[in-house]
Amino acid sequence: MAKTILIVDDSASVRQVVKIALTGAGYDVIEGVDGKDALSKLTGQKVHLIISDVNMPNMDGITFVKEVKQLAAYKFTPVIMLTTESQEGKKQEGQAAGAKAWVVKPFQPAQMLAAVSKLILP
Amino acid sequence: MSFDEEMREALQTFIIESLELLQDMEECLLSLEDGDDPTERVNAIFRAAHTIKGSSGLFGLDHIVSFTHVVESVLDALRDGKLGISPELVAALLPCCDHIALLIRNVVDGQLDADPAISAAGRELIDELQQFLQPGSVAEKAVTVSEKQDILEASGGGTMDSGNWHLSLRFGPDSLRDGMDPLSFIRYLSTLGSIAQLTTIAENMPIADQMDPETCYLGFEINFKSGAGKEEIEGVFEFVRETSTIRILPMDSEIDEFISLIKELPEDESFLGQLLVKSGALTKRELEDALNLQGEGDTEDGGQAAKSKQPIGEILVEQQVVQQPIVSAALDKQKQIKDNKARENQSIRVDAERLDILIDLIGELVISSAGVNLRALETRETGLLETTGEMMRLVEEVRDSALQLRMVPIGTTFSRFQRVVRDVSKELGKDIELIISGGDTEVDKSVVEKIGDPLMHLVRNSMDHGIETADLRRQRSKPARGSLRLNAYHASGSIVIEVSDDGGGLNRDRILEKAVERGLVQHNAVMSDQDVYALIFEPGFSTAQQVSNLSGRGVGMDVVKRNVTALRGRIEVESQIGMGTTMRIHLPLTLAIIDGFMVGVGKSTFVIPLDQILECVALPEDTGDREYVDLRGEVLPLIRLRPLFEIDCEPPRRENIVVVEYAGNKAGFIVDQLLGEFQTVIKPLSKLFAHIKGVAGSTILGSGKVALILDVPSLLEYVGSKNALVPPSLSQHSAQ
Amino acid sequence: MQTLTIEDELTIFTAADQKPRLLAFLNSADDLEINLAKVDEMDTAGLQLLILMKREAAQTGKKLRFVMHSKVVLDILELANLTSVFGDQVILAHNEE
Repeated sequence: MAKTILIVDDSASVRQVVKIALTGAGYDVIEGVDGKDALSKLTGQKVHLIISDVNMPNMDGITFVKEVKQLAAYKFTPVIMLTTESQEGKKQEGQAAGAKAWVVKPFQPAQMLAAVSKLILP
Repeated sequence: MSFDEEMREALQTFIIESLELLQDMEECLLSLEDGDDPTERVNAIFRAAHTIKGSSGLFGLDHIVSFTHVVESVLDALRDGKLGISPELVAALLPCCDHIALLIRNVVDGQLDADPAISAAGRELIDELQQFLQPGSVAEKAVTVSEKQDILEASGGGTMDSGNWHLSLRFGPDSLRDGMDPLSFIRYLSTLGSIAQLTTIAENMPIADQMDPETCYLGFEINFKSGAGKEEIEGVFEFVRETSTIRILPMDSEIDEFISLIKELPEDESFLGQLLVKSGALTKRELEDALNLQGEGDTEDGGQAAKSKQPIGEILVEQQVVQQPIVSAALDKQKQIKDNKARENQSIRVDAERLDILIDLIGELVISSAGVNLRALETRETGLLETTGEMMRLVEEVRDSALQLRMVPIGTTFSRFQRVVRDVSKELGKDIELIISGGDTEVDKSVVEKIGDPLMHLVRNSMDHGIETADLRRQRSKPARGSLRLNAYHASGSIVIEVSDDGGGLNRDRILEKAVERGLVQHNAVMSDQDVYALIFEPGFSTAQQVSNLSGRGVGMDVVKRNVTALRGRIEVESQIGMGTTMRIHLPLTLAIIDGFMVGVGKSTFVIPLDQILECVALPEDTGDREYVDLRGEVLPLIRLRPLFEIDCEPPRRENIVVVEYAGNKAGFIVDQLLGEFQTVIKPLSKLFAHIKGVAGSTILGSGKVALILDVPSLLEYVGSKNALVPPSLSQHSAQ
Repeated sequence: MQTLTIEDELTIFTAADQKPRLLAFLNSADDLEINLAKVDEMDTAGLQLLILMKREAAQTGKKLRFVMHSKVVLDILELANLTSVFGDQVILAHNEE
């Protein structure tokens, strides 16, 4: 039973690459285009890991993570924050919100896979 | 083209590439047993498998990676000669090629993950291959191994040889709540190598009542075998690093490896931490943490911080980040580097030519900045004047420090004479002690180079002719041991080097007698002591009653004088019968640039070295043609530059005297105008003018005009001797 | 002999609920068996609970066997190098007082 990962990013291509990399390794991937959209995707199915961008329309990543951590079903779910080199502060903010893992953009598919593999099995 | 399409295109490339590689692999495998040297083909097969494994990893095709990995391991053993080529092996490998091809074709069909049926077939093939890797151990393992999913192989319980890293992991209590599952990291760790031994530590888990099921209590001790570096292994635990204790240490058996690595490091880094990081025994983060700890210690200790700062090496060992032997090796290395650095600090070799070019350029810079300053003065713009003033100051500093580059202490030259004095005194049967002082007086390098020979002459002369034999000394009730003194010091812009002895002193009468005999002076000439002593520097003059093999070689003291003069220097002798002689060499501090004072005579401009000028005064109107003036009760000889340089024009109504001094002698130059201070580069006169006395060189003014630099010592000499020896016209005063 | 079949996953998400249930089961009899066949997810939190059970049973002198390990459970035990501990009745030294 493959584990499900939610990728939240407003960029379709980022979601696509992440999806390619992760489905290739045996994970199921679902997508959210922003924080609001992603929250709606979390209901009604089990998600084992969340990958979230920081800057997004409607609801940014930090707020999204904070919201997710309020949900009983997801309070222990690992969250990977997508940060950039210049966003050291965002990384801290994300960690405080509950996203304890991170991947620095731009990333190679293999890097994303490595980060995910450290946290959950397919 | 979108990223997605790019990825798809890249995937296509991968498929084509892999199928080609597989074809090659098959061909090579089939020809392996034909008897020719198989090395190249084995390498090719290995490379093909390796490339396929690498690229499939890039696209997340982990089922291909894990299958190819086993194939690669077998091929690696084959390449290393651990496995021999056998028909069985070829028979086992060929279907593996087919299997990889099948997996890749499935990728073409869009199947990016493992198909259960195909995976089962793959496992059978792998089992076949495992026999070549670990004969005997396969069957037993098969059950558990096959139950595990494909990617993971040989974590825990693997019976391979022991690892090279020891990992000690204590996960933070919140790890589980944070979604950071310790076992998941360990599982990932096994993709970097193999876990040779793992022990789960549960001792920290409290009794049932107090145990919080959401708190992490577990720790792990892992014996890990991997080609990965410490940094890479540390990377696995990146996300939990801040909340957990992660220690990665090389196994004891590997410590020597690190020690030799440290020894071989290039010597460009002298920080202990950096050395350890370079050797791979320490990661950048561990170093950072240790430095932070060191910093924290500082703030706690407050004022005594600097004193009580704990050495970084100690902290690293205390924190169990690196073992003591490795730190010790790094400390040794650090010391070695520092020692070498210190040695380098004492002297940096610079091509003398490069230095000369620099000095030359700075000379030009001095001239052109003087030009800029002149123009700036004309404009009377205060802003401009301020900046040029600043520039002049900087240029002056640049000049000074550039000249400093050429300065070396004369001590090294002096100490060479220790040996000379010892050897020569033995040779002469005299007991002579050399006393050196002022060795740290700095002299221009070119001066040092050229002063060695003259000094040698003076020293030998003193030992030979100056210091008496022990018997004679005793008769004269002097200590039997003679002393020779080398001394150096700075005096009024020049450097003075003295060679003195406590010998018999110069015999004025004998010198004079000899000089008359040689036709050097008139029989009845009236001469000062100074002038008489100076005669010993005349060519062909030798006063020694017995010619020793040292001084009587036909090379006389005249060579000394010539050498010193060539350095724009002067030599003087002071002697007292029975007490000793002092030869005093005055040399300019530098040969390249001087601070000058500009004076005008008619339309000509002259530069007088500033350090030789005492003062400037107006020429009293009643002086007339007298050769001297009364300067505050002192007789000051006058030198009129106008007739001296044959300048044909009427003197102005008021003239000035520039009072100069050199080596204790004073004179006054009579000039028209005082033009002010001026830094100047000495351009030597061309050979055509080399015989002209009284001129040390020329310089180019900011305006482009040429000015002559007056040679004060030779002009003073002229004043002192003009009554006796020297013909009145300087231009004819060429030969001696 | 009492048997408990763990129907749910053994993870951080269920650990808080599982712990009292498991301890209650441990107190229910002296000869116990835990069936792990239906454990479809397990992590370190689950492993901790199993270790806790094992330790409590040893301390109270009860017989406790884990049976019918699912693949997921075997993987975790293998990873923690505890297969032998939970596969048969041998207790590792470091789990004893």
